Amino acid sequence: MYYIDLAVTGVSIGCMYAMMSVGLTLVYGLLRILHVAHAAVFALGAYVVVLVANATGSLAVGFLAAIIVTPLFGMAIYRLLYEPLLKYRPDVPMIASVGLLVLMQDAFRIVFGEQGITFRSTFAFTTYNFAGITVSAVQIAIVVTAAAIFAGLHLFTTRTRIGVGWRATVSKPQIAASFGIDPIKVRYLNFAIGSALAAVAGGLVALLNNLVDPGIGFVVSYKALAIIVLGGLGSVRGTLVASLVLGLVEAYGTIFIGAWLDRDAIAFLALIVLLMVRPQGFTGARTA
Amino acid sequence: MSAYEISIVSVIGINVILAVSLNMISGFCGQISLGHGAFFGAGAYATALTMVGVGSVPLAICAAIVTGSLLGIVVGFASLRVRTDFLAVTTIGVNFLFIGFVRKQAWLGGEMGISNVPATGLGASGNMIMTLLFACATIGLSFYISRSWMGFAFRAVGEDEGAAATLGINSGAYKLAAFGIGTALAGLAGAMYTFFTQFITADAFDFIFSVMLMAMVVIGGIGSTWGVVVAAVGLTLLPEAIRFVNDYRLLVFGGLLVLVIRLAPGGLAAMTRGALLRVRRI
Amino acid sequence: MLKRSFHAPTLSAKVVLGLASVVLLGAATMMPARADIKIGFQAPLTGPSATDGKSAQIAGQMAVEDINSAGGVLGQKLELVIYDDQAKSDQAIFTANKLIGEDGVKLVVNGSYSASGRAAAPIFQKAGVVMISAYGVHPDITRAGDFMFRLVHLGPPQGAATALYIGKTLGLKKVSTITMDNDYGQATMDGFLEAASKYGIEVLSKYSYSLKDRQFGSIVASVKRDNPDAIYATGYFFTGGPLVAQLRAAGITVPIIGSQAFDSEKFVEIAGPAAEGTYIVDSFDRDRKDEALQKFFTEFKKRAGYAPEGVAAITYSAVMLMADGIKRANSDDPAKVRDALAATKDFPTLEGSLNGFNSLHEILMPISVNVIKDGQFKPAGEITDLSAFAPPEK
Repeated sequence: MYYIDLAVTGVSIGCMYAMMSVGLTLVYGLLRILHVAHAAVFALGAYVVVLVANATGSLAVGFLAAIIVTPLFGMAIYRLLYEPLLKYRPDVPMIASVGLLVLMQDAFRIVFGEQGITFRSTFAFTTYNFAGITVSAVQIAIVVTAAAIFAGLHLFTTRTRIGVGWRATVSKPQIAASFGIDPIKVRYLNFAIGSALAAVAGGLVALLNNLVDPGIGFVVSYKALAIIVLGGLGSVRGTLVASLVLGLVEAYGTIFIGAWLDRDAIAFLALIVLLMVRPQGFTGARTA
Repeated sequence: MSAYEISIVSVIGINVILAVSLNMISGFCGQISLGHGAFFGAGAYATALTMVGVGSVPLAICAAIVTGSLLGIVVGFASLRVRTDFLAVTTIGVNFLFIGFVRKQAWLGGEMGISNVPATGLGASGNMIMTLLFACATIGLSFYISRSWMGFAFRAVGEDEGAAATLGINSGAYKLAAFGIGTALAGLAGAMYTFFTQFITADAFDFIFSVMLMAMVVIGGIGSTWGVVVAAVGLTLLPEAIRFVNDYRLLVFGGLLVLVIRLAPGGLAAMTRGALLRVRRI
Repeated sequence: MLKRSFHAPTLSAKVVLGLASVVLLGAATMMPARADIKIGFQAPLTGPSATDGKSAQIAGQMAVEDINSAGGVLGQKLELVIYDDQAKSDQAIFTANKLIGEDGVKLVVNGSYSASGRAAAPIFQKAGVVMISAYGVHPDITRAGDFMFRLVHLGPPQGAATALYIGKTLGLKKVSTITMDNDYGQATMDGFLEAASKYGIEVLSKYSYSLKDRQFGSIVASVKRDNPDAIYATGYFFTGGPLVAQLRAAGITVPIIGSQAFDSEKFVEIAGPAAEGTYIVDSFDRDRKDEALQKFFTEFKKRAGYAPEGVAAITYSAVMLMADGIKRANSDDPAKVRDALAATKDFPTLEGSLNGFNSLHEILMPISVNVIKDGQFKPAGEITDLSAFAPPEK
């Protein structure tokens, strides 16, 4: 029972990490940039979901609004910040990204207050009981949404023309261009989808905690960095696997390791060890 | 000088040492380090422990330099394995690991930190003067390195490792040297900090602080000693001078960092150089 | 753009601007002030502790306005000189020096966390400036010297009082503990663990989490396995809220007792129906039939947009106490104010009557407990046995 409880926790957190990290790995795969500011996109998504859901009384409308707004924000980051910096070495856009994250976090605090905002709906509190294991509605939503999204992404990139074109551009940009696929449009699509996913993840986390505060993106941001390296940079499948693994490791591990090392530091420890030992990550998709 | 002015100048001195040393690693040698706070913290803790245990100022300073440097060289090895932006991520990780580890260790004060660190006996003005002297020494060292063969090698490694190899430069060794020297100085700054506050907690050395330091380097002009010094002084004074900046500190620093990278990646140094060229042409 | 307007080759424009601003600022602060009594005020207005900082600031300003509208103190108006210390030690030192040097302040209320109070205390002590720490709990604050006072119960006494409450008043014996691993959370839990055996409490397990955590899945599952009679958790409202919600969501129905910093309406908002029945120790009693309290409540809510919590109430009381000290000393000379404060007897604060200070200038005051009923904070008893949780003496 206990171990199943932990497994439930691990899987749902892992799914949330996956939705958050996919955006990061997509950007890296395409542009070789570590889009640290993705955490700000995540946080923005969470805020939009909460604010719109509270204003309209409908959770669905909240998520819808987030899925519309955050891709715009993500694409703007690409256009205004990354595109002009592509000609420099990769750490330049990364530092800019870090600066943007720090700025956005303070902006959230200033605009929305330090206390954070809670939901007015009671969706966050529904739970179900299966043979002694209690699962909350939000956890189920996370797993179901993640499954749906990844299945959808798979179908999109294998069955639709745009999707295939996107995949082609990521792996072989020159050849894809010679087939008439516009690499710029692909970039925008990349950011749009990654950001929308982060927004959904953000909204679900806000539901899970019943709180969105300025720091909501921060903790997840560096875990996402660890995850995309672990999963093999640019590999969506790898990210999914790594996310679930990290979620489970945290769920089972915190009780034991929490005594001598900060929980957040665990993800970083894993990251550093991995970068030193096997910079290609689990699936070896791209080199660091 | 009033106590307030003494404390401001002391902090300026500390920030100058930190920024210039970071510039050596990230500017001269091109190894982006977003975890400089960890080495600063390592030095601070080493000093605190030495002062509490033995009470000797020179010993404490040595301990700080050695600790910072050792930790730096260990991290420097990471730079041999991964390329620059992953190195940056590794250094972020080091920063978090450092704080995560320190906060859990009772012998390092844990959450409470180390308090009642004995005074140096020099008084606040004495400490300030010591800090300023070290800051000047650091600036001097930075200029010296910049103009020496080592500086040339650093720059070669930073800009194009492959080309550097053809010149017979062992890039690995120079990267380690850059880290070792830069972090030794960060440790020194840590010692000055502990003398100043006599009470340290882990959260003063966090990732956000490291980002602020990188902001100073970038805004000053990555690679330019003078630029970085000016930026360190200016960005330390700015929150004190302008209330708005104080209240919205992270917003301003983050914003400046983004703006400078986006619009003037060479920082103040490049802007001044450009302005100088234009003046000469007139 | 900068490129065109500044061509000073030798001095960077930035340095000039910075220095000029400092000079102007210095000149501004040296201008002669009216006959006001200045009270320094440090609070974390930015950074992760900004929620409490904002509450403290508003409460402090309200207190000063209330005092001034009632005629001020000794015929003079009070003026609050506020600085943001970001809850960091080096900023606390900076701002302390600023208050002493630039603003010439002799009386200070520290409305910030422990790191700040701890760093500022020796500076104020050396300068002979009275400091009342409103809610900073680091034990060394009062140990810095006799100019220091603390208006909040120390962590360990709060924990000890909780042990009494759980073991004796509630009669629950098997307890699982969940500690927030910062100084406040740990100190409070330490006090609890030390006193637990005195009341027959068996501590089943000890868990800990960090300030940034919002997901407690592992802890919740482990507590469920422990099957305790009660759960005691230390933390702030933004950790306690999710924690309590997740505990209840897992089907755990035993009483949950939280520490002082759970005390906030936000806690009820976040935890929702799960908050029902949670006990909060050293929470401030909002139902007391006290006119000043009710007036404070409505006024604060109007200004801040949210109901006041413990931090706001205690900061307001700290400023009130300082004013009272000045009045009783019949002077704003810090040594006299210090002596007047040390001699405080039965001073009415928003939380109740302050019996007085002990030799280390820690408060002697009963601890009240609240329980959440229908989303409201309702009184659930008072721990009046002062000896059971006596703070350390000099």
